[in-house]
Amino acid sequence: MTQVDITSPTMDGMGPHGTKVGLLRVLGPAHVWALGVGIVLVGEYMGWNFAVGKGGAYAALIACWFAGILYTCVAMIDSEVTSTVASAGGQYTQAKHIIGPLMAFNVGLYLVFAYTMLEAANAITAGYLFSVVATMSGHADALDQRPFIILVIMFLAWLNYRGVLATLTFNLVITAIAFLAIIVLFLSTSGILGGGIMEHAALFEGHELPYGWIGVLAAMHFGLWYYLGIEGTTQAAEEVRSPARALPFGTLAGIMTLLIAATLTWYVCSGVLPWEFLGDGVNGSVAPLFDTARLSGSTALVWLLGFGTLFATLASANGCINDASRAWFAMGRDKYLPGWFGAVHPRYRTPYRSIVFLVPIALIFALGAPLDQVITFSILSGLLGYTFMPLNIILFRRKWPLNSIKRGYEHPFHPLPAITLLTLCGVTFFAVFLGYGTQLVAMVGFYIVVSLWFHFWRYRFVNRGAQFTMPWPKPQGY
Amino acid sequence: MAHYQPPKQGKASQLIDVVVLVVLTVGALFVPLWLGLAGAAKSVTNPVTTPTWETLGQTPAQSAKYEALGYTPETAHDLILARFDYSFSIGALLMMIVVIVLYYVLILRFSEVEYREVISEKFGE
Amino acid sequence: MDLWNWLEYGAWALSALFGLHMLVDWLKTDSTYSEDVLTSSREGELEAMAEEHKVKS
Repeated sequence: MTQVDITSPTMDGMGPHGTKVGLLRVLGPAHVWALGVGIVLVGEYMGWNFAVGKGGAYAALIACWFAGILYTCVAMIDSEVTSTVASAGGQYTQAKHIIGPLMAFNVGLYLVFAYTMLEAANAITAGYLFSVVATMSGHADALDQRPFIILVIMFLAWLNYRGVLATLTFNLVITAIAFLAIIVLFLSTSGILGGGIMEHAALFEGHELPYGWIGVLAAMHFGLWYYLGIEGTTQAAEEVRSPARALPFGTLAGIMTLLIAATLTWYVCSGVLPWEFLGDGVNGSVAPLFDTARLSGSTALVWLLGFGTLFATLASANGCINDASRAWFAMGRDKYLPGWFGAVHPRYRTPYRSIVFLVPIALIFALGAPLDQVITFSILSGLLGYTFMPLNIILFRRKWPLNSIKRGYEHPFHPLPAITLLTLCGVTFFAVFLGYGTQLVAMVGFYIVVSLWFHFWRYRFVNRGAQFTMPWPKPQGY
Repeated sequence: MAHYQPPKQGKASQLIDVVVLVVLTVGALFVPLWLGLAGAAKSVTNPVTTPTWETLGQTPAQSAKYEALGYTPETAHDLILARFDYSFSIGALLMMIVVIVLYYVLILRFSEVEYREVISEKFGE
Repeated sequence: MDLWNWLEYGAWALSALFGLHMLVDWLKTDSTYSEDVLTSSREGELEAMAEEHKVKS
């Protein structure tokens, strides 16, 4: 019998199968919140407004709330499964235990691509911000954005390499500032403190639903962007001190924060910016909260929201590096990918090889592809992942009914959330089809090819029974 | 049942696997781009020859905002009038549905086969 | 040359520095420790143990 202290670096009880160096358990619920919200909050600072362009301001609000329902289901389902399957790799490990290896491989790839693409999109946005500041401060030529894009990725990768506690504490601070900036903007422009500048009725007049109801459907595509990435909280499972409590708490607190932030963002932006301008994220409003601050006439607000935008992109890229590398690492550890990636740094206790490997991949996309393509790639990978979740929870409840194993959290109203989630995913697939149909088919084609590659070639290197690591009884029906 | 013993993978083979994955990934993003199939562009279907805020369909409150943002009716013309085209063919829609459903069916079938093997090895029959 | 040109060079230099630091540390780590130790991490029964203080020996 060994002595176990889960906070000790050497005897943290992580090695039932002979772990000598594992990830370090140092995080609390606040870090989980920061990881989840930090990744997503950039969505309120840029990108969500494409939904306005797709169907008008009201459509964006409807999409915001329906996407909110979708993600609430995601958060509830995820909290239940992950409070039981607590492991780096998150949904990947869930799929491995509940549906099967090929599904797990696909889910792992969804995660890595969704996050790596999002990281690239953030770096592009940060580079753009630097160029705007340069122009505003009187720089004559166009700024070369590349060094700044590379610096963002390199610095955050380095931070991640050096240890998870510093990384996520950094995230906590900048995420909190970015969130407070939204609140301050709301309070000071809505008329609660000082004079209000909201003109919703006047601005919507004659443009209530410019595309009719199909516009509302189409807006769902970018409605996801308000919340995309909240499911990443599960990747921290091997590094939180008490996963069964911290993960559900951090995730559910995170989705509530985001529902508030998303609604406030819609409210202030649509009350100040005309919808055609707001909805065009390329030629019109690239950073809508920042533009709202500009129209408020307050220099302090402009600075605050400028920093808010920068911090949000950094927090998001930071969380993405964290999550993508955990998923890649977990797949390497199981030999789904070359086992070489399953290494942990003996001093910093991070999956260092995965972190370094994903840097050039992120750079390829950040420097070589246009922003909306990168975002679409990320949204599609996310969407495929959300479609997997209802299947996952239904099979989880069927194979291990409620009283058969101990769950840290049980979500209510099953199977209602699963069915709602599946329906909303179907609607979103249709919305994506309206704009990016070829992209969607190309993506699914890619996943079919890699699935065949995995099933017929890669899977031979994987241990069969040993990959099932949870101390559960045999699933029912097998 | 005898346990399955996976072969040990050599360095070179590991490297090849990584390269294959990276090539496929980059391909999935860039091939639609190269073929020019990607993206939904907005276009102006009914241009206005002498744009004023009224002919662009803007109320005084709305045009005031555009002026505050630094636009004139001329510079805002494309921004205001560009629209998406949401028409689609039923054939394309059906094809998308078939592809997605096929994909999930394929994964679930293969996963189930692999999963049964995992369970029988783990819980020993 | 104004401030922003210098900042561009600074960004290149800092990126190289961060990259180089990771690279050097990575190679050093790989040559100091054996592959067995580095890749010894296994997915475990974290939850069961952390919450119920039960350990399989």
